[in-house]
Amino acid sequence: MMASTETISDRAAIHSLHTGRATLRKTVIACCVLLVSLIVALLLTSLLGSERLPPRAAMCAVLSFGQSSCGLTSDQQTILFQIRLPRLFLAAAVGASLAAAGTGYQALLRNPLAEPYLLGISNGAAVGTMIALVFFGSYEWSRPLMAFAGALFSTLLVYQLARGRAGTTPDRLILAGVIVTTFLSSAIVFVTTLMDATRIRSFTFWLLGDLSGTTTSLLAIAIVVTVCGTAALAWHARSLNLLMLGERDAFDLGVEVSRVRVIVFLAASLLVGSSVAASGSVGYVGLVVPHLVRLSLGSDNRITVPAAALSGALFVVIADTLARTIIAPRELPVGAITALIGAPLFVYLLKRRG
Amino acid sequence: MRQIQDEAGRTLHLPPRVERFISLAPNLTEIAYAIGAGDRLVGNTTFCDYPEDAKKVVKVGDTLQPSIERILALRPQVVLVSTASQLEAFTKQLDEHGIGVYVTDPHDLEGVFRSIEGLGAVLNQSERANQVVKQLRERAAAVTEQTKSARPVRVFYQLSAQPLYTAGRDSFVTDLIRRAGGMSVTADVPEAWPLYSQESAVAARPEAIVLPTGGSMGAANADVAESLKRSPAVLAGKVYKINGDLLVRPGPRAVDGLEELARALHPEVFNR
Repeated sequence: MMASTETISDRAAIHSLHTGRATLRKTVIACCVLLVSLIVALLLTSLLGSERLPPRAAMCAVLSFGQSSCGLTSDQQTILFQIRLPRLFLAAAVGASLAAAGTGYQALLRNPLAEPYLLGISNGAAVGTMIALVFFGSYEWSRPLMAFAGALFSTLLVYQLARGRAGTTPDRLILAGVIVTTFLSSAIVFVTTLMDATRIRSFTFWLLGDLSGTTTSLLAIAIVVTVCGTAALAWHARSLNLLMLGERDAFDLGVEVSRVRVIVFLAASLLVGSSVAASGSVGYVGLVVPHLVRLSLGSDNRITVPAAALSGALFVVIADTLARTIIAPRELPVGAITALIGAPLFVYLLKRRG
Repeated sequence: MRQIQDEAGRTLHLPPRVERFISLAPNLTEIAYAIGAGDRLVGNTTFCDYPEDAKKVVKVGDTLQPSIERILALRPQVVLVSTASQLEAFTKQLDEHGIGVYVTDPHDLEGVFRSIEGLGAVLNQSERANQVVKQLRERAAAVTEQTKSARPVRVFYQLSAQPLYTAGRDSFVTDLIRRAGGMSVTADVPEAWPLYSQESAVAARPEAIVLPTGGSMGAANADVAESLKRSPAVLAGKVYKINGDLLVRPGPRAVDGLEELARALHPEVFNR
């Protein structure tokens, strides 16, 4: 599998050296289609929830950006504008962040399995968030900040562990990821056992991914970081393409390898950090979505980074709508849904390719 | 040896008189003391903080993670467990060592009374247990008597704000609310403690919100969930904080909880 990925990425890299304009057109078309799908999905899922809202009035209220009530009662407006829509936007931001970060890690580390969750980076962000909650509980902004620090720390840790004398091999990277993941998982278990019972319940739930509890400021941070982080990755997409050939080749072709590496690590850690701080660890998004995108659009990062971000948003918006509605008025953690869809899908993709 | 059936329908073989037992839940510890068997309690959990004497008993861990080694070392003749599901593997392990596990599983106040009588039989304190239950029944009946003509208040019970947990169909709190002259808006939701949709909580338009907080819960759950801040209950100032230990522990003090709930929901009846 590794070998086949290498040839695909080689082809993409060489391809990207030659065909700039065709790629731009393809990128614009793919992103427009995905963006429209995302907007349509957001509009449709804003009509779905445990409480039924009159569809026409709800659609009218959404399209008027809340300026007009369109005959909705004040409770219905609260449900739509204070509960449902913020949650949908958070789902979109989290999905986009994780998928874009996954694409970035996969290109930089030249490994199709590099994913925030599997590499232990989500867990690093989770530990950071927990520390923020325990020590600076009253300062909300400390959560994304500490989550970012945790994500960055575990990224660097995995990267250092994975570097052997012969450079970073895919096997070493996954091994390092497993070590960091399990170590940080134990750290999380250790901290939760020290906390009291009522907080354990919300923590274990949050660790599975929970989009229900966002605040305006966390949502705003998540959206800003998603846009900036994805843009930073997309800006360096061409360098990422060349890096997929190998660091030495990329260097020979004029890529400032260490600078790009720092930027990608920082951007991806920011993306993972803000999404974990707002919603816990939603698994599989960073793995499955970039793969699906590469299968359908090829592995040129100038396309895959923005396309994966938009597809990731779409994926989590749909997954969370399922989590909110399947057993309504009860709810499921969204992480359970993404894993339930993601894992079989991933197995299918592997089988089909292998 | 005598045979006894627990609330999960399992049959236990116990010695004629139980001299040493362990409680793995705070409500069972409270029952044991209430029926006068506290002096034979050789181990309990870090959650067991009532009555005061319960704090001095050897701790075997918490309710979720008890230490099997310490339990074995204390040589109990029976271990009391609340709700079977979480501790299935653990129960099997104790069974293999010949230690009986008595499981209680109350879903309403009547179930709590049955648990008290059941523990009375297990711990050879039946007479005392029956007395306790008789008094509790009288107090509960008095509450029902006073609230029965009052209009039922629509209550949302918030177990935690983030994520939003409430009391469902299988929780004894739902029964307490009904007996106190209320009507839980989540009374028909499956499970005992379901994770609940914020949308549905808003749409239910609760007239009163009950927050179990304080006691061993400390400052947790002292605030109404953000999405309910504009509910009729909050606007009318009908948010009632009640000592969590009285509402989440299906033991003798649940009747104290019932009385507090009734006084909160129907001040017009009790302040006369």
